Amino acid sequence: MNNRHIANVFDRDLEGVQALVLKMGGLVEAALSNAATALETRDEALADQVRNGDSAIDELEDLINTECVRVIALRAPTASDLRTVLTVMKISASLERCGDYAKNLAKRSMVLAQMHSIEGAAGSIRRMARPVGLMLKDALDAFIARDVDLATSVLQQDKEIDQMYTALFREFLTHMMEDPRNITACMHLHFIAKNIERVGDHATTIAEQVIYLATGSLPSSPRPKSESVIAGDR
Amino acid sequence: MKDLRLERDVQTSTNKIEARKVQVYYGTNHALKDVDVDILDKTVTAFIGPSGCGKSTFLRCLNRMNDTVASARVEGIITLEGENIYDARVDPVQLRAKIGMVFQKPNPFPKSIYDNVAYGPKIHGLTRNKAELDEVVEGCLRKAALWNEVKDRLQSPGTGLSGGQQQRLCIARAIATSPEVLLMDEPCSALDPIATAQVEELIDELRSQFSVVIVTHSMQQAARVSQKTAFFHLGHLVEYGETGTIFTNPKDPRTESYITGRIG
Repeated sequence: MNNRHIANVFDRDLEGVQALVLKMGGLVEAALSNAATALETRDEALADQVRNGDSAIDELEDLINTECVRVIALRAPTASDLRTVLTVMKISASLERCGDYAKNLAKRSMVLAQMHSIEGAAGSIRRMARPVGLMLKDALDAFIARDVDLATSVLQQDKEIDQMYTALFREFLTHMMEDPRNITACMHLHFIAKNIERVGDHATTIAEQVIYLATGSLPSSPRPKSESVIAGDR
Repeated sequence: MKDLRLERDVQTSTNKIEARKVQVYYGTNHALKDVDVDILDKTVTAFIGPSGCGKSTFLRCLNRMNDTVASARVEGIITLEGENIYDARVDPVQLRAKIGMVFQKPNPFPKSIYDNVAYGPKIHGLTRNKAELDEVVEGCLRKAALWNEVKDRLQSPGTGLSGGQQQRLCIARAIATSPEVLLMDEPCSALDPIATAQVEELIDELRSQFSVVIVTHSMQQAARVSQKTAFFHLGHLVEYGETGTIFTNPKDPRTESYITGRIG
């Protein structure tokens, strides 16, 4: 199949919105990584930068939606073109949520910077944020290359993130039981861990969308689930 | 809430027309190659494909219009409810009363609106008296969504109507012989968007009674009106399936190229 449309403007429109998604992905990856660094190094200036940067991500989502509506109205995309537009819209919605989580992480890190630190917690959070950032990157790389194998590997990675989250949950619980003065900080840390875990879920959603884009159907088997932190939830 | 999937579902699984290994030659030109297709009853089937792909040729095979082309030769089997329409005992004129056709350009007879619709029932002797004929004419004009616009001037010439009205008159004429199948060869290409929408609405209503086969260059029209879509390319039937599937996830790369507007 020839990959170019007879109408060149159609190609430019589609490439344009996909470029915006990549730009958005770059901003989200940086926000997540900077927020985690700010937490560990207690760098309030960096955290503030992440907070303020979220509006740029939101604006990109608006722009992507507007452009996608235009493409649908003016070009009536079908088949893989239609799937591209739908996938772009879903990915940008996921990325926008990830941006919000990074912003929330930054806000909480500013609060935590004023408290005495919980031994090892910030490092654990950063160690969890790193592979989640990589999952996002892999999901977006898979999107650009329409790479089903890479997208499938992202689905597999989510299981490890869930395990890391479960481990962190137990760690924070232990700190809280040991000393109730840790509760405020640990609650913040727990929300941070939960939000990073949610970013992993969004990366998984993006990977599933990539599989839909490339094959025309969503992956059939549900993604692997690890043990839940909720006791008895089986 | 109504289940949308059921509402747009094909309402039957009965085959109206079955075609097997159909070949058409124009002289030495092999125009249609090995076409196998089942056309469902009470369903709108759209044929799409680039110019010269064989879609109109195949449509014309279905009511033996190719008989009128001296150089054309048709091989293979086409059955209407199990009866081979190319059987020597089949009278093409009777066949065309059962399989009606509407063409690209509205072509009303140079007669009154009334006579345009009454012509078929008259020559086939489908009505016994004037009152019955009046009833058929009114019924067909109503089904073609034209009655309210022409009921006060049934004796004026059909050629005096607007393009969209003429096309609906031709549809009324085509359904006046109570056909079982209605073939439409680009019925909207000479119409404005409003007349097109009226004809498309009509097609959707007709499918409760007939099997409709439509050839169209407008893929959006195929997507709007049909339940099944067949894509023809270079004389081959490349892909045939549920319209929603063809337009969201076609299996053949040639179909994908064509419907997304890429050079195939």
